[in-house]
Amino acid sequence: MSVLVFVEHHGDELQKGSLGVLAKAATLGDDTVAALLVGGGVRALASEVGSYGAGRVYVLESDELEPPTPQPRVDAIAKLVQEHGFENVLFANSVLAADIAAALAARLDAGLNWDLTDITSDFVGKRPALQDSIVVDVGWRTTPRLALFRAGSFDAAATSNGEPHVEDVTVDFEEHSRAAKVVSQEQEQAGGPSIEDADIIVAGGRGLGAPENFTLAEELARALGGAVGATRAVVDAGWYPYAAQIGQTGKVVSPKLYVALGISGAIQHKVGMQSSNVIVAINKDPNAPIFEFSDLGVVGDVHEIVPKLTELVQQRKAS
Amino acid sequence: MAVRASDYPPPFAACDYVAEPTDPVDERIEVGVLVVGAGPAGLACAIRFGQLLEEHPHVAERLGDVPLAVVEKGKSPGSHLLSGAVINPRSLRRLFRDRYRIEDLPSYGPVEGEAVYVLTRRNALRIPAPPPMRNHGNWLFSLSLLGRWLAERAEESGAMVLPETTADKLLVSHGRVVGIRTGDKGRRRDGEPSGNFEPGADLVAKVTVLAEGTQGHLTGVALDHFGLRSDAPQVWELGVKEVWRVAKPLRSIVHTMGWPLRTSARYREFGGSFIYPMGEDLLTIGMVVGLDYRDVELSAHDVLQELKTHPKIAKLLDGGERIAWGAKTIPSGGYYSLPRRLHAPGLLLCGDGVGMVNVPRLKGIHYAIESGRLAAEAAFAALQPGATPATALAGYDEAVDASFIRDDLYEVRDMRQVFGRGFFIGGALASAMTVSKGRLAIGKLRAEPDAEQPLLRSNRASSYPAPDGRLTFDKLSSVFLSGNKTRDDQPNHLRIQRTVPVEVAQLWVSMCPARVYELGAEAGDGTVTVEVAPSNCVQCGAITAKGGRLTPPEGGSGPEYTNT
Repeated sequence: MSVLVFVEHHGDELQKGSLGVLAKAATLGDDTVAALLVGGGVRALASEVGSYGAGRVYVLESDELEPPTPQPRVDAIAKLVQEHGFENVLFANSVLAADIAAALAARLDAGLNWDLTDITSDFVGKRPALQDSIVVDVGWRTTPRLALFRAGSFDAAATSNGEPHVEDVTVDFEEHSRAAKVVSQEQEQAGGPSIEDADIIVAGGRGLGAPENFTLAEELARALGGAVGATRAVVDAGWYPYAAQIGQTGKVVSPKLYVALGISGAIQHKVGMQSSNVIVAINKDPNAPIFEFSDLGVVGDVHEIVPKLTELVQQRKAS
Repeated sequence: MAVRASDYPPPFAACDYVAEPTDPVDERIEVGVLVVGAGPAGLACAIRFGQLLEEHPHVAERLGDVPLAVVEKGKSPGSHLLSGAVINPRSLRRLFRDRYRIEDLPSYGPVEGEAVYVLTRRNALRIPAPPPMRNHGNWLFSLSLLGRWLAERAEESGAMVLPETTADKLLVSHGRVVGIRTGDKGRRRDGEPSGNFEPGADLVAKVTVLAEGTQGHLTGVALDHFGLRSDAPQVWELGVKEVWRVAKPLRSIVHTMGWPLRTSARYREFGGSFIYPMGEDLLTIGMVVGLDYRDVELSAHDVLQELKTHPKIAKLLDGGERIAWGAKTIPSGGYYSLPRRLHAPGLLLCGDGVGMVNVPRLKGIHYAIESGRLAAEAAFAALQPGATPATALAGYDEAVDASFIRDDLYEVRDMRQVFGRGFFIGGALASAMTVSKGRLAIGKLRAEPDAEQPLLRSNRASSYPAPDGRLTFDKLSSVFLSGNKTRDDQPNHLRIQRTVPVEVAQLWVSMCPARVYELGAEAGDGTVTVEVAPSNCVQCGAITAKGGRLTPPEGGSGPEYTNT
């Protein structure tokens, strides 16, 4: 059951989601797991990729390929699949990965299961359905099996310090593959980790009372080393940018710790964060639905509790 | 002085939605017949037109690459369809003559029996079904399911179905409708294009058929632009319904009236409920309330929740699970509210959009299907060599006049006086008349638009049950169940005045089954800001009846009904 994982990077930083998928792949069977890196300066990242479980790292080193266009990467993966007969190609969801996976499915006439949250060692995928109310088993009729995993599905834990076997790849690109050019890239201005990657998220809702009170969430997030999220209601009201919106029509996150400040916990929000490991809710309404699915619920005023909590976290960190 | 929602009209002008084509000629998408709306009327029109093209291939050739197209604003055909639905099968039989039998359609079978109850808080009194209500020979459907099936048939007969596409503007050139402009996609909340911006396109057609259903956006625009509105205003009812998986099958269709609506005439709480079987393990339960009600705290959604706590009804649902929810308005003005004409140059109007609903009989789907079929035939006739498309469409009005649609609606025209507000309402009125010993002046009923009713407040909300998450539910979890995943950061598609007297704001907050409106800051002078969450909207259309205006959001927005 040979496995190839596409590992995405931004600059010299490997994307945590794909490292998580790689770490998961390493637990699936006895075969060596292979990883693919594409871009400028990626050779330097190969040994780090190895520490997350890749026994073999294919490197397609080219500054020209640093801009994240999908088609050249489709060419590279298609070639590896054809040459080495990989039976499984796994991706962590991102805009780039989704593009590549879809195009690869068409190129190889292969089946793609997307939005998976887990996979078994006999390659049965787990996919939440019907607004995450149930998890269904999904499979593939043919190989290669293509799978795209939801953000935060697996922990990116370094498992070995073994030096992987690094191998250069050369690819003859399709004519159309080089036709698209990235004209410019812009980074959204945001302090701290993005909410998809954060282990800790402090999210604020209408219960904060006013837009300026979002500093409460920001300060607590800074103290905890986490990111700030928001409910749709406050994004709608213009209190916080849409990029931070968590929920049905925002981002789906599963951090280790989710702190909900003044969030009632409507189902539209719940489906975006219910798979968090530990959910802590602070809300002054004891009947708020969020207390039904939080691990720790505090009934009280966020304006009193959060500043003290932030102070305590800072003290603990300092000592 | 009493406050009326109509004193705060929406910032909306029909003329903003009438335009000349703007795309360069070679970029316009040209089709033969363009149908707006993949509902029973639009799909019947497409299916019939496809049959005619099949019989006359030379006409199809003349109409170019796309002789027939259907645009649909929902994610797919059926996504925005919601009804009872007990259907009189005559129009379906006529449409599919020699092709399909009614048994071949995805139904829940014929009506096996029926019961009508008058409810009080604890009791239910069974009464004989009044004649207009008898449903022997009618069939039970999910309109959403039927819509999907009809769309497959329409595609088989050569129609190009374009889902996630809104009809935003009516294209009019030299006084003649020449198609529609589809809505833009990918605009941000402030209206500026985002990275995913896709501008709309001009869809140019020889004949445009508007089959948009209740509160149709361009239907309203066309009625104003061509001066087609009747002297009698259109009025509406709001229906909210749920689908339940139940332990024990329901055999008969059930209608109720009375509780939880209040019978006192001053509240004008006219309506009732329906409970229909959907096969062995499902049923649908809905509440319909006339939108001429006056109490600002009335909420059709919460009245439905209240209804389910009645011992007789809770028993039907015991051990069951709610699996779907949705809401929609029903035009109920009847014969007198029909437009003066159903056509304009290049344009035909069908179905619920123009109010083809037989309120006493609680039926409209078979009129929609029949009108769609007749529209197809009129469009086809207008495309014959020698016909002048601008005038040939008059044949459609003649055909509707000669059909059972006009006969049926005419027959019950004066039942406005007694049953004018539907069976439920008529029944409630009858009891109100009895209670008031004839003091109730029924002749004046429904003379004014829904939004002109003077508002009052009587602590209506105090009787709504607190949602328990098993039998009764809040609005937000209901919206979730409708499958609504509308993109949040798109422009607001709801036209209302944002600063209004608190009564009007409360009216909208309570009325909206999808919790789109919330009370914002008070100004201190009795007015309040209305906060709007447009992405909750399930496009029921109630806001248009009560002083605002629904326009279509980005294509693909709104609910994703599957079995309503």
